[in-house]
Amino acid sequence: MKETPLSNCERRFLLRAIEEKKRLDGRQTYDYRNIRISFGTDYGCCIVELGKTRVLGQVSCELVSPKLNRATEGILFFNLELSQMAAPAFEPGRHSDLLVKLNRLLERCLRNSKCIDTESLCVVAGEKVWQIRVDLHLLNHDGNIIDAASIAAIVALCHFRRPDVSVQGDEVTLYTPEERDPVPLSIHHMPICVSFAFFQQGTYLLVDPNEREERVMDGLLVIAMNKHREICTIQSSGGIMLLKDQVLRCSKIAGVKVAEITELILKALENDQKVRKEGGKFGFAESIANQRITAFKMEKAPIDTSDVEEKAEEIIAEAEPPSEVVSTPVLWTPGTAQIGEGVENSWGDLEDSEKEDDEGGGDEAIILDSIKMDTGVEVSDIGSQEMGFHHVGQTGLEFLTSDAPIILSDSEEEEMIILEPDKNPKKIRTQTTSAKQEKAPSKKPVKRRKKKRAAN
Amino acid sequence: MAMEMRLPVARKPLSERLGRDTKKHLVVPGDTITTDTGFMRGHGTYMGEEKLIASVAGSVERVNKLICVKALKTRYIGEVGDIVVGRITEVQQKRWKVETNSRLDSVLLLSSMNLPGGELRRRSAEDELAMRGFLQEGDLISAEVQAVFSDGAVSLHTRSLKYGKLGQGVLVQVSPSLVRRQKTHLHDLPCGASVILGNNGFIWIYPTPEHKEEEAGGFIANLEPVSLADREVISRLRNCIISLVTQRMMLYDTSILYCYEASLPHQIKDILKPEIMEEIVMETRQRLLEQEG
Repeated sequence: MKETPLSNCERRFLLRAIEEKKRLDGRQTYDYRNIRISFGTDYGCCIVELGKTRVLGQVSCELVSPKLNRATEGILFFNLELSQMAAPAFEPGRHSDLLVKLNRLLERCLRNSKCIDTESLCVVAGEKVWQIRVDLHLLNHDGNIIDAASIAAIVALCHFRRPDVSVQGDEVTLYTPEERDPVPLSIHHMPICVSFAFFQQGTYLLVDPNEREERVMDGLLVIAMNKHREICTIQSSGGIMLLKDQVLRCSKIAGVKVAEITELILKALENDQKVRKEGGKFGFAESIANQRITAFKMEKAPIDTSDVEEKAEEIIAEAEPPSEVVSTPVLWTPGTAQIGEGVENSWGDLEDSEKEDDEGGGDEAIILDSIKMDTGVEVSDIGSQEMGFHHVGQTGLEFLTSDAPIILSDSEEEEMIILEPDKNPKKIRTQTTSAKQEKAPSKKPVKRRKKKRAAN
Repeated sequence: MAMEMRLPVARKPLSERLGRDTKKHLVVPGDTITTDTGFMRGHGTYMGEEKLIASVAGSVERVNKLICVKALKTRYIGEVGDIVVGRITEVQQKRWKVETNSRLDSVLLLSSMNLPGGELRRRSAEDELAMRGFLQEGDLISAEVQAVFSDGAVSLHTRSLKYGKLGQGVLVQVSPSLVRRQKTHLHDLPCGASVILGNNGFIWIYPTPEHKEEEAGGFIANLEPVSLADREVISRLRNCIISLVTQRMMLYDTSILYCYEASLPHQIKDILKPEIMEEIVMETRQRLLEQEG
């Protein structure tokens, strides 16, 4: 399908924003997007996410006979494909200019820089050498394919392990991964491409352009560098005129960026290595986040409430005997009980009012700082004796007086409760002093089961 | 500055349309439409194992012995006489290529274009060289479909003074299946703005021109600044259209107008909130039903 054209106002807006040093996603001019590297179960398989641009890299190897004029060197083969799911404009069978350009750039960056030692890939000179094949697939196009592809290529190459070979005289033995551990490739350095987009005839430059910025840019400068500050490839396209000091400045920026990215790559490789060694789970399935908030309302989950009565009995037994004012617990339905009748709901007044929601098994990390108990005699609206069990999900929520800050956990896994409107109107109790309530403010963290009782 | 945060909400299925008399026969690709072999196959169907099977997702239409499936979500398919709003993508030798949300770019021939001054003469070489002066890449035009080529590409013409280059306004891109076929597609709404409902799903909202001046073939774009009141009306209309589209209601002048009136008690930016969207569209639906019944 043809690409939808960018409207004039969008173009103008983007260019004006760039003139004012603003980017659509809020980055600074020299900022990269978040880079995320995840590995698959096989060695040599990785996915690199640069913002929303995703590239899948896969390295494979094969024993072949070498090229005639390079009898002692292995063969490297690079291939970048623009998958149709990356953008609607990518169609099968149409070798666009973009594809040719990207492939060429990638080859120059990785092959001509001699980052992989091809001599070490030779098994028997003139007869058998390793052919290493790097396949890159663009899964999603959100700008700056070349950077993501170069990172994916080098990460996949560093991650890859080839089968071990031993040569004894004329005999060549190829060991399976079970017999002998596969051997990593010998990589001298890690060249990484950094892209600079130029706007308004070279006046403004941006690092790591995203898809919209790429559409309005005038020209692109790509510098491939390694962490030793050696330039492996440099390419300028788009026909813009660049000044010498501009190019030098870009190379300095590229040096800084490449150092950061190389560090990130090494850390990711190390993490993966550690996980594999410890026997933990690795692979793409693990790197995808499981818990996501997809709905505000959770479906009603069936809960086992068979032991709630026993637990309640336990509490009652342990605690001091309640006053006669308190009635015995009334079981409405399995899961809903009531002890006495609560007082007037003073939530709206933000006064000292406490409503307790207790649930056996609720272990959400709700941390409360302190309870300030109003022990004044005149305040008689505390002491909600109602212990209503609200069965929405399996959470318990305690909230507090207006003085103490309520800290709710940030965890995304926590389920939110929908507080049902107060069904039982709370009546103001007569002359109940709350002296006994001082027992409560023991600062027990997390789960707390309090029972307030009205003393007489 | 006040900030508003929302948590994701479980999607509610769109409520059933109130009082729909004819139930549409909806199919998905692979569904059997009928096992009766007496029917002729139309678009969107194919014969397999003695059954008529649908190949697109849509509603089944039957005309006597012809069965076809009209897809719900497609690109625009041109028909002669449709009014479309399009964007110029290329300027070629004697024609412009216009993007109209269809499978192929539409074509606007130089000979189908009104010359400034409304003169009728043979297009010369100078006209060809001056093409870019009329319409450039990125310009929006309103045009009518003159013919449809065999491969589906559409040929446009702007041979009337009401068509031509569009000036200041707001473009809303919706699915073509939501724009109802009517007698006129260029409306001057009483709320103070005008709207062009392109059959291809491009809807253009613009301030009503003060006076119908002697249009110079519609090429001079009116670049006077638009007043704030007009802008507000246009923004509100745009949000109303978006809310109608989200609730999958057909777009035509009455529905847009009712939706606009229903949205007046709310602030313009509040219209895009899901609850308010539902409320407004529900009210619009009610009014439309009352009007019909």
